[in-house]
Amino acid sequence: MSNSAAERNRPLSPNIQIYRPQLTSVLSIVNRITGVALSIYAVALVVWLVAAATGPWAYATVQGVIASRIGQIALLGCTFAFFLHLCGGIRHLVWDTAHGFELRSIYISGWAVVAASVVLSALAWIARSFVAG
Amino acid sequence: MDRQRMRSPLSRAMGLGSAKEGAEQWWMARVSAVALIPLTLWFVASIIAHTDSDYVTFIVWLRMPLVSILMVLLLIALFYHTALGLQVVIEDYVHSGAKFGALIAVRLGCVALAVTGILATMRIAFGG
Amino acid sequence: MTCDLDCCKPSGSRQPSDGSTMIIESSDQVPRATLLKRFPVPRNFGVAPESRIVRGRTWPAPTGAVRVKSFEIYRYDPDSGKNPRLDTFEVDLDDCGPMVLDALFWIKNKVDSTLTFRRSCREGICGSCAMNMDGTNWLACTRFISDLGTPATIYPLANMRVIKDLVLDLTHVFAQYAMIEPWLQSRTPEPEKERLQSPEERSKLDGYYECILCFCCTSGCPSHWWNGDRFLGPAALLQAWRWLADSRDEAKGERLDVLEDPFRLYRCHTILNCTRTCPKGLNPGKAIAEIKKMVIERRS
Repeated sequence: MSNSAAERNRPLSPNIQIYRPQLTSVLSIVNRITGVALSIYAVALVVWLVAAATGPWAYATVQGVIASRIGQIALLGCTFAFFLHLCGGIRHLVWDTAHGFELRSIYISGWAVVAASVVLSALAWIARSFVAG
Repeated sequence: MDRQRMRSPLSRAMGLGSAKEGAEQWWMARVSAVALIPLTLWFVASIIAHTDSDYVTFIVWLRMPLVSILMVLLLIALFYHTALGLQVVIEDYVHSGAKFGALIAVRLGCVALAVTGILATMRIAFGG
Repeated sequence: MTCDLDCCKPSGSRQPSDGSTMIIESSDQVPRATLLKRFPVPRNFGVAPESRIVRGRTWPAPTGAVRVKSFEIYRYDPDSGKNPRLDTFEVDLDDCGPMVLDALFWIKNKVDSTLTFRRSCREGICGSCAMNMDGTNWLACTRFISDLGTPATIYPLANMRVIKDLVLDLTHVFAQYAMIEPWLQSRTPEPEKERLQSPEERSKLDGYYECILCFCCTSGCPSHWWNGDRFLGPAALLQAWRWLADSRDEAKGERLDVLEDPFRLYRCHTILNCTRTCPKGLNPGKAIAEIKKMVIERRS
């Protein structure tokens, strides 16, 4: 069988293997990852509500899981993912009005999303420990 | 071997033609996102405020009419937004025939979860 | 009379400012700091066997060269039957011009004449020499060698079929461009003189008509990587907007019908790699947002 160029498929030039991660693409994929993560946490929300509706014993079991070490780490991940997705989502909503597309605005809003997510997550956890006493 | 090779480049680019729809899904994702901003912030604030409160306090709070309404609205908006978002993710990455199965599973799963959550909330709201 | 192109500005103003490489103000800014050169995926992640890149040979600098820079360049020979490879060339910077295209010519003239690449105007207006340098797409003739790291990596534009070395098969992306019918369409009969357009209406085309169809944006778009067969990509969509925004065009409804499709238009998730990488400083992301706005406007 001849191995002429016409018969072999031309190779595909590398894409994600060599393309530089930039704030634009990194924040976009982070927004998607947090969205998918929050979908899974949404299932946990329903489980928690069903436990509350079932009775005090079921509720206490679920609360116990949340209060465990793994549960607390998951909750921390959940708050950070939530605020990242929230701030990233608001940035997307602004873009949908066709504003904020200059590179300078894109980069400033991008770093603002990262900073705001960290700050809001920290505030949420500080408030939580404040309420818990 | 590769039946695609016989099609003209323009025909390959045109594919099966424009579906002439897609705006509705895009728009409803934005509408549900706008609804979710206040609802989720309310939910997170409420959860923080109820840290370490016992079961009875929590149920009494959830039984308040406004809280029940907001919780139901949160579940509807959340699972609608989730269904739309996951649909886009699946369409992006899954290209085999499994795509349609995944799309159906995600949509039905979100409906089931939303109904479960809403009924649980109603049970708390109306239960004795 | 000073030229306004970024490559003609005095070199003092062209260097990336050390202070704020965190905030990119224009697409020609090359960030000094690099946290990650590539996404943390395996080198041959999801790569078909015929596309796997192997290590090629190294061509050392000529004796007596003082300022030497290493260039790792993607090579592919369709007649050899072998896989693509990465050759390393040591270039004598004192012997060649300041741009990456000059380095490629130096290599072709003095080291390996089989190095193949497209080029024409050497001034950033024809779009022929678009390629991926140090992970980002740009024109080789307007990218300073000093802006690249060591070793500098040169790949063809991402996610395209390679004909030879850095020359790509752009048939599909040009077909997608042809599909959006990039010509004036009108039912009103031709006037005696020109079709009239006010300066304000003409200004709506600024930032869109200047596209040189280099396809840096489309080949940098992850959505086009995963769905390039059906997603039109930023280049075609920017031109689609150019015609939608033209007050003389009378086919807006038909154009929007062609575009309104979950894949052709709505695979755009505002990733914005396109705006970041445009070597002419254009904004495909904004154009696509305007198209989406127009689609919503006509149904409410």
